[in-house]
Parts: sequence; C-alpha cells; structure tokens
Amino acid sequence: MPAERHSTQLPGGTITRRQLLQLGVPFLGLGLVDVLRARASAASTSRRRGLIVFWTHGGMSQQDTYDLKPDAPPQFRGMYRPIATTASGITITERFPRQARVMDRLSIVRSVHHGNAIHAPSAHWMQTGYFGPTLARNAPQKPSFGSVIARAAGARVADMPAYVTMPKSEAFGYQGAVYLGAAYQPFEVGADPNATDFRVSNLTLPRGLSIEAVRTRSAMLKQFDTLRRDIDTSGVLEGLDTFKAQALEMVTGERVREAFDINQEDPRLRDRYGRHLYGQAALLARRLIEAGSTCVTINTGYWDHHDNIEKGLEQQLPPLDTAIGALVEDLDLRGMLNDVLIYCAGEFGRTPLINGHAGRDHWSNCFSVLLGGGGLKGGQIVGASEPRGGDVQDRPVTPQDVLATIYRVLDIPLDLHLRDASGRPVSIVGAGKPIHELF
Amino acid sequence: MDLGGRGSVRASFDPAANLRAAGSPRAGATPITRDVPMTRRLVIGTRLARTEPRPPTVVVATIRLLVLTGVVSLIIGCRLVPAASAPPVAFGTDVRPLLTKLGCNSGGCHGKAGGQNGFHLSLLGYEPEDDYEAIVREARGRRLFLAVPERSLLLLKATGTLPHGGGRILAGDSDDYQVLRRWIAQGAPPPRASDPVVQRIAVEPGNALLSPKTHQPLRVSAFLSDGSQRDVTRLALYESNEPSVAEVSATGVIETQARGGLFAVMVRYGDQFAVVHGTVPFHAERSAVATQPPRTWVDGMLRPQWQRLGIEPSPPADDATFLRRASLDICGTLPTSDEVRAYLSDRRPDKRARLIDRLLERPEYASYFALKWADILRNRGAGYSTSQQRAGTSLFAAWIRDAIDANMPYDQFATEILTAVGTQESNPPTVWYRAVRTSQDYVESISQTFLGVRVQCAQCHHHPAERWSQDDYFGLAAVFARVGRKGGFADAEVPTSQTIFLADEGRVEHPRTKRVMRPQPLGGAPFALSRYDDPRQSLAHWMTDPSNPFFARTMANRIWGHFFGRGLIHPIDDARSTNPPTHPELLDALARDFAASGYDVKHLIRVCCNSDAYALSAVPNESNREDHQSFARYYPKRLSAEVLLDAFSQVLDAPTDFSGGPGKFPRGTRAIDLPDEAVPNTFLDVFGRPARSSSCECERVSESSLGQALALIGSPLLEQKLNAADGYVARLSADARPVTELIDELFVRVLARPPRSDEVAKARKFIESAPDRRASYQSLLWSLMVSAEFLFNH
Repeated sequence: MPAERHSTQLPGGTITRRQLLQLGVPFLGLGLVDVLRARASAASTSRRRGLIVFWTHGGMSQQDTYDLKPDAPPQFRGMYRPIATTASGITITERFPRQARVMDRLSIVRSVHHGNAIHAPSAHWMQTGYFGPTLARNAPQKPSFGSVIARAAGARVADMPAYVTMPKSEAFGYQGAVYLGAAYQPFEVGADPNATDFRVSNLTLPRGLSIEAVRTRSAMLKQFDTLRRDIDTSGVLEGLDTFKAQALEMVTGERVREAFDINQEDPRLRDRYGRHLYGQAALLARRLIEAGSTCVTINTGYWDHHDNIEKGLEQQLPPLDTAIGALVEDLDLRGMLNDVLIYCAGEFGRTPLINGHAGRDHWSNCFSVLLGGGGLKGGQIVGASEPRGGDVQDRPVTPQDVLATIYRVLDIPLDLHLRDASGRPVSIVGAGKPIHELF
Repeated sequence: MDLGGRGSVRASFDPAANLRAAGSPRAGATPITRDVPMTRRLVIGTRLARTEPRPPTVVVATIRLLVLTGVVSLIIGCRLVPAASAPPVAFGTDVRPLLTKLGCNSGGCHGKAGGQNGFHLSLLGYEPEDDYEAIVREARGRRLFLAVPERSLLLLKATGTLPHGGGRILAGDSDDYQVLRRWIAQGAPPPRASDPVVQRIAVEPGNALLSPKTHQPLRVSAFLSDGSQRDVTRLALYESNEPSVAEVSATGVIETQARGGLFAVMVRYGDQFAVVHGTVPFHAERSAVATQPPRTWVDGMLRPQWQRLGIEPSPPADDATFLRRASLDICGTLPTSDEVRAYLSDRRPDKRARLIDRLLERPEYASYFALKWADILRNRGAGYSTSQQRAGTSLFAAWIRDAIDANMPYDQFATEILTAVGTQESNPPTVWYRAVRTSQDYVESISQTFLGVRVQCAQCHHHPAERWSQDDYFGLAAVFARVGRKGGFADAEVPTSQTIFLADEGRVEHPRTKRVMRPQPLGGAPFALSRYDDPRQSLAHWMTDPSNPFFARTMANRIWGHFFGRGLIHPIDDARSTNPPTHPELLDALARDFAASGYDVKHLIRVCCNSDAYALSAVPNESNREDHQSFARYYPKRLSAEVLLDAFSQVLDAPTDFSGGPGKFPRGTRAIDLPDEAVPNTFLDVFGRPARSSSCECERVSESSLGQALALIGSPLLEQKLNAADGYVARLSADARPVTELIDELFVRVLARPPRSDEVAKARKFIESAPDRRASYQSLLWSLMVSAEFLFNH
C-alpha cells in the first residue's frame, strides 16, 4: 500500500506513516480514505479539541439534578430545592452550588430519550449511539464514542494515549473499540487518583524491575532486534515497533509519567477539585488533555438508586458538583475552556415518580445531559420535559444527536463510516444531527 | 451537446465503434495497455444516417472522429438523438439507476432506514415500487410538479436551488437533470410489468493488463429482456478493491497507480454486477523464466502470475527458518533446541515432507486447530459463570479437539455440527446451538463459517455487492425454523444445557412480503421435503456435495490463508463475485483436490505446506518487494496471543498459571489448550484473543497496539517467568559451562537458530561485563523475546 510507505499529503497537513499505522489499516478501500479524511479534518483546525466525560453509570436522576420540577406534586418533586445560577432563568439542584456559579459556561439538554429502560442496551445507546445488545446477550456490538474519537482524531500529541478511562472502563464493556480493533481500546488508568499510593499499573513496572533495568534491556533490544523490517508490508511489524518505542518512552521517559503524576499539582488546586475520586479524576483528566490525550472518560461509580435515592445522591452529588465546577473554573483560568468539551451523562435518567422504596427506577423517555466548553454556547437549556418530567415536551434529542454534537466539536466529519467485521460501513452517528442551538 | 438549439442530445458510443490499431503487436509480446498522448484529433465528418417522418422528428446522425496518435488511429461513431423525441424515460432502467448513481438512495442519505428528512428511498433502489410511491405519491405529491417539471421539489432540491441537506448533487444543465426532467414531463410513468428489465451487464475490457500510471476507460453494456442492448457506462457505479493499485473514477475510467499488483473493479448497474480483473506489472516482463519445471502443481499455478506481474520469487528459506515456521503454523508451538539440532543435521532430501507429517501427528496440532475452530464456532465461556453452566463449553471444546485429532473428514465435521440433536452430554455439537439461536445467527454463521460468504446485508436489503436478496436470506433461515429447544437452565447469559430436537412446527416469514419461506440453500431452489424430514439434513447434503460451489473452496481458502498469511480470496470469508480470488484456478484446484481426498484436512494442509511457495524466504527481492497478493515470498505473521504466551513459557521453562473459569487447570496447561476464551488472562486479551462473538476469523486481532507494547515491557506475567525459581534463567545463571556455549544454546532455544558470530560476541561481552549474571541473562532473553524475530513467524 503506497499510502503506508510514504507520507501522504492531505489538505489538513501531512499524514505520516506513523500516524497511518496508528490508524491501523485492517480494511482497504473506502474505510481508510474516510479515516484519513477524518484525521485531516481533525488536524486542520489550529487547535484540536479534547473531551472530558463524567459517566454516571446506572442512571443519574434528572429530576433531582438538572431538571427539577418544584411545582410538581411531592411524589414527583423529590427532596431538593432549585437554586438560581449565573445563567439567567436556569435553576438546578441545591446540591450543585459550584456548577451554579459557572452555569453561564455550561448548557443542559433536557430532552434526551431513547426509550430503552434496561442498563445494558441503554448504556450501549449512549456510549455508541446505537441500540444493540439485550439483557440476555449483552456483548458490545458497536465502538464507543471514545474509540471512534481515538480512531478518527488520534491523540492530540503523539505518545499520549488518545482515549483514557479512569479509574477503569465501565464494567459492561461498552466503552471499548469492538471492531475498530485493540489499538483503539481505552487506556485504563486502573487506580483511584485520589489514593495516596496512586500509580498507573500499565506504567508501573512490576516489583523488582527498575527503570534502569528497562533502559538496559531497551539498549539490548536495539542491538539484537535485527530482523529485516522490509519482510512485512502489512504495517503490523512497523506498528509494533512504533508502539514499543512509545511504550518505552512512556515507562522510562518523563513526559507521560509526569502527565499522570497528579502530585505535581498545587495542593490548593487539588483541594478545590475535591479530595475524592471525582475531583482528582477531573484534575488528572485536565492534565492528560493538556499533555495531549483527546478523550478522557471518568466513571463516577454506580447511580442505580432504586432504594433510598436520597442517601445515594447525598454521597454522589456533592463530589460530582465540586469536580465539574472546579474543572470549568480551572479550564477557564488556563484559557482552555474553548478547547475542552465537558460532557456529563449516563445511560438514562430515573422515573419521575418516586417508588415505594423511596427510590427512582430506570427512565429513558426523557432525561438530561450536561455539555459545556469546547466552544459551545453556555447558559443554554435545550429541550424541555413535561411538567412532571415523564416525556419530552419540546425538542426531542437522540443519543445520536448528542454524539453528533460531540463529534462536531472535535471536528470529526459526521459522514464518517467505519467498517464493521463484515466489512459493512457503519455511520458514526446514524441519523444524528448536532444540537444546533449550542453552536 | 447541443443540436441546433433544440435541447440536449443523448450521445452514446455506437456499439459498432471500433478501435483500429495501425499495425499488429509484436508476435509473442503480451498486449499491454499504456497511455499514449493524443497528438491530433479531428472530426472527419458527420453523416446524417436516417430521418424519420414527423412527428416527432428523429435524427440519427453519425459523427466520425479521427484521433491520430503516434501509432493508433481511432474512429468513434456516435448516434445522436434529439431529446424531445428520445424514447420514453423508464423508471426502472433510467430513473432508478440515476438515483443510485447520484447517491440519493445511499445508506448515508435517503436510503437509510427511516430516510432523511421524511424522504425515504429503498437502499440502492432495490424496491422500485416503494421508491416510486415515495417520489410521486408521498408527501401529498409535492415532490413532483408535472405541469412545470422544473419546479418539482425533487429537482429543486437536487440542484441545490432550494436548501438541501445533501447539497447540490445535480447540475441544472446536465444530461442527468434532463433525464429526470423528461421523466416528469412525460407524466412520471410508474414502473410497469411490461418494462424491459436488465438481465445482465457486461463490461469491456473484462481483463486488463495495464501499465502503471495509465488510464483505461471502461464500457458497460446492459442487456435487456426485450432483446435490446444499451450503453450504461455513465449510469453504472464503480469501485476498486485495491485503490493502491488502481482507482476508478465515477465515470468509469480506471487509473492505475505507480505500483504494480492485482486489482478488481466492481461495476454495478441496478441489481446487476460485472467485474474487471486487472493486472499491473511491477516490472517489465522478465525474460528469464524459471528453468526448472514447478515441483508441485500448486507452484505451477502460482508461477504464471509472477510472470505477468514481472516479479521473481524470493529464494527458499533456510532449514532453521522453515522448521520454526512449520512448527508455529501447524502446531502453534516453537521447536525445542533438540528439534532444531536434529533437523539441521538431517541430510535426507525429503526432510521437509517428513517434518510436516510429524507435526500433523502431534497433539499440539489438534489443540491449535481446535482453538481456531472454537473461535469460529463461537464456543464461548463468557456469560457462564458456574462450572455447571460452562460444562457445555468444555464438552464442545473437547469434541472439536477430538475430531481434529482423529482427522474427521471435514464434510462429516460440518454435518455433525449442523444437524446436531440431543443433549450436550450425548452430542456435544448441540452446544453450537447455544451461541447460535436466531434466524440471523443461523444464516450468518452458516454462511460465513462453511460457505465463506457474508450475507448480513441481505437481512434488511438486497446485498449491495452480491446477488443475495432477502429471499436467499430468509429461505436459508427457514432451514432452521424447526430447531426445537427444551429443558436446560436459563440462569446464564443464554440458556445452557438445552436439548436440541426437530420440532413439529416452525416457520420463517419474509419480513416485507410476509410470505412463509420454504427452506432453501443459498442461491438454490427450495428443498423437496416431507414434514418428517429435517431440513438441516438437506442443507448438509447440499453443502457437502463435491459439486457445491462454496463448501470445499471455503475450507481450502481458509487453510491457505492460515499458512500463507492471506487467503486466495481475502478476507477469507468474504467470497463475492465482486471480490474475486487472486488465483481462481488454484483455488478451484485446491477445492477439487480437497473434495476428492474425501475432505481430508491433513491432506489439504500437506498440499499447502509441501509446496515450494510455502518454503520461500520472507525476505523480499527487488522485484517482489511491494507485492502482497501473489505469494512470491512468505508473508510474516505476528504470533497469536496464545501461541506467544506459550512460547514465553516454553523458552523460560515457566508455565502460566491459569485460574478461574470452569475449573482449576493443572500446572503446565498451555494457552492453546484452554477450553474457552473466558479463562482470565490479561496478556491474552491484550494480544487479541477474540471474544468469540462472531464467526469471523477477523475477530482475532493481529493489529499491534500500545497495550501490547506496554505488556511486553512491564508485564508482571513475563517478569514472573524471567524470575521463576526453577526456570530457565535460574538454571542458566547457575550453569558453569563457558558463556559462549550457553549463548549458543540460548539462541537456539529462543530463536530456533544458532547465533551469528557477531551476536555471540555482543552477547558475551554483555554477559561477562555485567556485575549481575542473572540480571544480564534476563536482559538478553528479554531483548530476544520482544524482538521482531521472536514475535513474528517469518
């Protein structure tokens, strides 16, 4: 394939052989061309944007957070009062005071829906934009948006992992690459950045193996790795060489390890983010985006509050609020807010009516997601739910619309199709359209 | 083109147009197409051929155009027909292909399920009646304005006169525009039963031998049911399967690139296909043809293509390389030092054939190929957390392994799986029916696994690149309509331990027509069946008949792909008329030979492995460097996850501990012997162990990734093996023999070859100068084991 052997001039700049290899080139034909075009497009903007995701697996209650119904009967209303924000006319839960301070820079979409109320298919909906698995057969079928971003946009700075999940990927496996291949799987941090002994297992050498020993081995490898490279034209061999060099750099070099070294942050800033998983993960996410990652997903635990929802929310809402609020302020201070998109969502919301166990159940007919930064308009409300929250009243938004919005912010062409295992080109957004009110 | 201001004219190449070469090609030379600069062009005359009485006026004229070049003169004839009197525009043969050509009904636009902005067309126009409804009647008929065709929404949107999400796709002054406009002006006639239909299309040239960087225009003719023939070059769609060798323009002009190779161009018009097979030589034809006759018929069938492509094969690989290659490919296992030394000192001329025979009798052969088949047959462990639930997985895994060990004929192997009834204890192949449960599963698994075709597309619409329709898809699904299930326990991902039987009832309906489908094989007539017959038996009969066009070929291609790194059809389970084999005669011959052997898989493997082609070096020469399709050298493969892990264990004499899953595994269990994919092991996952969720071998990832590189550098697993108390490193660092002797042994053990003198010198210097002997052996071993030479089979 000549495209692999030489650099290819594209409108957006030169694609190097190495970048091509990072794409992986399993299928010839349109898929590759499309991906190249996507990369060129993503590279053509002067500042490629990054994405930080707060994933509320299990389903966060919209009615207790971003879409309160203070005038509804008590069994719908919930326990929290609304508070005013810096965005005129927008109120959110009283448990979100930090976000209230920066609401002029964030927007809420209150009319997302997909109609499925089971965790697995719903998580697949929101992570991939497609319906797919069922409860009984829950293997992932489509790549996550993070993997699509890794494939289409790559890392913003070479040697950094393009797509990172922390502390780990969500357990259903819908944050993976599926048919895009192992190269686009998320890089799992694998540890809680709030822990005092926080270390990234993938970058941490096994006990007894020193960095010095790795350097010695690496020097040995250079001497003995003499197989002729021209025997393989498939790209696998050169790809592995590239990744070996990158991995050695990550393990023995300073830059990547420094990006992951959250201890380098001012303790006062760490305090502002909050000394908990959510806060420190948000801060680490900012460090990684700064160093060159493109998509960082923070998994914020389990929000499946069927029983005693108040107890669960009291534990989870304040740290989430601190993390998001501090992140917005920090990005803004650093002049990065237009370059980093913030997205908070789960697979669905929760039933408007409080059940007999003082909890709320699964609800996907209408729920809210949060978007902000990345050059999007702040202080906006898109769509509306019915007075008691049940269904979309105005401006329905699909999971594919949300993903189209994210891809548009990251300059990934919305007509990009990636080939599945059968060779069929699959659209990254289906019928989705960016939420134009936010641009 | 404009004819006297009376509107546009349809001009097409006269079928009688001719190409006359001045002089004939050199005797014996292969005719090859090159671009020749056109030095002069002039119209040498137009001739009015025929005028018919009005109304309407029909003028048929011939324009003769003489193109002079250095060597060739070309006379082109055209028939010009004024638009106003041109034959009526037919929906089926004019409008529908145009909608396809313009992309209106593509999967990204109005062709996707649900359409685009309320306007839905069938994908690629396979349902013309529905499309006619959508265009003419839906939306209260506002898409067409019969009185003033130019003001039809259809045209205003397509030309971008009104805002259109798809942009401007049609120029207002184009011929395509005129076709649509005239169709509307004629009252938008619907498709009629009496309309001629396209019976087949033909493309010229069908075979093309082209120089690099040259152009070859194609001509596509459609043959209609009324006996007429028309030129549809402009309406056809084109796609090249190797754009790096040759691209094809939307107008049907092939443009070869700077490099050589094989390519195919798919031509589509309506639901008909044609393929152009193209060859672009890498180098001028080599006069020095091999002097020796080919040693095997396989080699004899590879050679002509090398000659056409102007490439020479690499020389044979040395013995050590061949031993390692065959051991890894047949047994998934590295040769031991003893095997290496014995093989290198063997002087018998037939030692390669003997080696292949020996390897095929080893238990590792059965384990390794059973692993491959367990992937393909989706024998999953994930989703079954208890050993009781997972018993079926282990039983089926053992059945597969035993079948391969006994060299069960492949027709019997497929039949026993396909027609299985009973329980997992009485008949383990019934476990196949655990992962494969729906019409979709049945059709797609059978097609991809045993027939080598992907029919997924035909579930929802006519396959865009094949002849498969929804009838084919649901006819095959009907074969399985009476698969009955009872018992079992439903506390796992899917019920386990079910009894599979032939139910009395069961039917499959066509999703659109709601017709009850009769069981039928792919591309064949429905089976004649009584209610007592199991349709699966008929399917198995049809499939395993030696004349079956898919079955033996698919296995021959699969095995070829396993050993040669690329199928003759690539990907191996994507046979299509539009994805032709690189070596059709060879694939046919392998399939015939395989069927004639009684579907003897070991025989098929011997045929592949005993060829000279399989023994070629992987190192390219000047002529075959760019080639990746014609097997003029061995194409390297990265060791697969299980093979790599076992190789580490073998070299370091430190087995992997596998825990969890269906039970405890005894110490020394190899990764290729694990019963399923869900035995936890991060290393295997990182290196591409498949989840067994599809029957595509492509699920096993051979791509490289950052995770793999990190695992090689800092994997606790590898580190444990390097530090094993009773392992190879421990023995080595305590060994009192001279260092050079140890280094020699070490190289043979790791790389299956003796070290070169420079390697001995470097290694010796390193070992002797290092303060910590053990650490220095660890470093040396690590660097050899993560080197490309170790990670690849080459």
